[in-house]
Amino acid sequence: MVKSIIYTLSAVLLCIGLFVFTEWFVKNQFEDFSEALDTLYAKVENETANREDGFAVRTLWNDRKEKLQIFLPHNDISYIDYWLSEACGLIYNKKYAEALGNIEVLKEISKNLPDAYTLKLENIF
Amino acid sequence: MALVLIRTSIIFITLLFIMRLMGKSQIGEMQPFEFVITLLIAELACIPMADSSIPLLYGIVSVVAIFILHQIVWLLDLWFKPLKTVICGKPSVVINRDGIDEYQLKKNNLDISDLVESMRAAGYFNLDDVYYGLYEANGSFSALAKEQSASPSLPLIVVDLGKTDVKNAKKCGFTKESFREFLKAQNAKPKDVVAMTVNGEGRVYLQKKHKKYEILQIEVNEKW
Repeated sequence: MVKSIIYTLSAVLLCIGLFVFTEWFVKNQFEDFSEALDTLYAKVENETANREDGFAVRTLWNDRKEKLQIFLPHNDISYIDYWLSEACGLIYNKKYAEALGNIEVLKEISKNLPDAYTLKLENIF
Repeated sequence: MALVLIRTSIIFITLLFIMRLMGKSQIGEMQPFEFVITLLIAELACIPMADSSIPLLYGIVSVVAIFILHQIVWLLDLWFKPLKTVICGKPSVVINRDGIDEYQLKKNNLDISDLVESMRAAGYFNLDDVYYGLYEANGSFSALAKEQSASPSLPLIVVDLGKTDVKNAKKCGFTKESFREFLKAQNAKPKDVVAMTVNGEGRVYLQKKHKKYEILQIEVNEKW
C-alpha cells in the first residue's frame, strides 16, 4: 500500500517536473529563434541581408529543431523548415519584399507554436 | 505535455462513465475501469509507435497518466466504499426466490437469452435450477444452486421479456391459437410474461410480471 502510494506520487512528481521543464524549454528555444528572425527581418527590410544571414538563421534553427523534436510533433516543426527554406531562397535571389512576407509568417509560427502546447483551456478541448 | 495528461484523463473518465452506462453485458470478467485501461493502453502505446511524427514522449506520458489514474481509482476504491459502487458498480441479483428480476436484467442491458446463456456457461440449464443468480460487478455470473436439477432436459425460450419466439413455440407444439389459449388459461398475455421456457419433457417455467414463477406441465409433440 505504502509502496503503491510512493510509486503514484513519484509518477505525479515526475510528470509535473517534465511539464514544467517542457514548457520552459520549448519557450526558451523559440525565443532564441524569434530573436534571430527579428534581426533577419530588420536586415531584409533594409535590403542588406545576404546569403550568410539566412544561412546563420537556418543553422540556429537546425540546432534547435533537433531538441524540439523530442517535445513537439514533427509535422508542426516541418512548417518552419518549409517557410525558412523559402525565405532563404528569396534572400539569395535578393527578392526582399517577398522574403519579408515569409519571415513574417515564420515569426507568427514561432510565436503561436509554443502557445499551442501550453496548458490552456482552449488547448485541452 | 500537461495537455496530454489532462486530455488522457478526460478520455479515461468519459470511457469509464460510458462503460458503466453500458452495463455488465459489455464488460466480461473485468472491472469497468480495468476494461477502460485495457482499451486505452493499447491505443496510446500504438499511436506514437506507428506514427514517427509524434514524439514518443507523448505515448509515455499518456501511459504514465493511465497508471496514475489507475492508482487513484484503486485508492478511492479502498478508502471510500460508496465510490467503489459508483466506479465499479455492484452485483445485480437477477434471479431470486420469486424468479427473474426483470428490472435488474433491463438495468444491465440483458435479456432472458443472455441470462440463460450465462446460466448454461455456469452449468445450470433450467431457470429454476438456482435459488439465486447474480451478475458480479466484473460481469461474471454466480449462482446459488438448488440441491437437484429440476429436469435433465434442455429448455427452449418461448417468451423473452414479452416477446414470443414463434419458432420455439412451434417446436413445443403450440400453434398461434393454442399458445394464446394456454396463456389465457394462465391469465396472461405475451407482453405480461417475463420469461417462459419449455423443456423436452413439457415442463414449463412461466413467470409473469411482478409475480413469482410457476412450474406447469404441457404435452409436447416431440422430445428433445
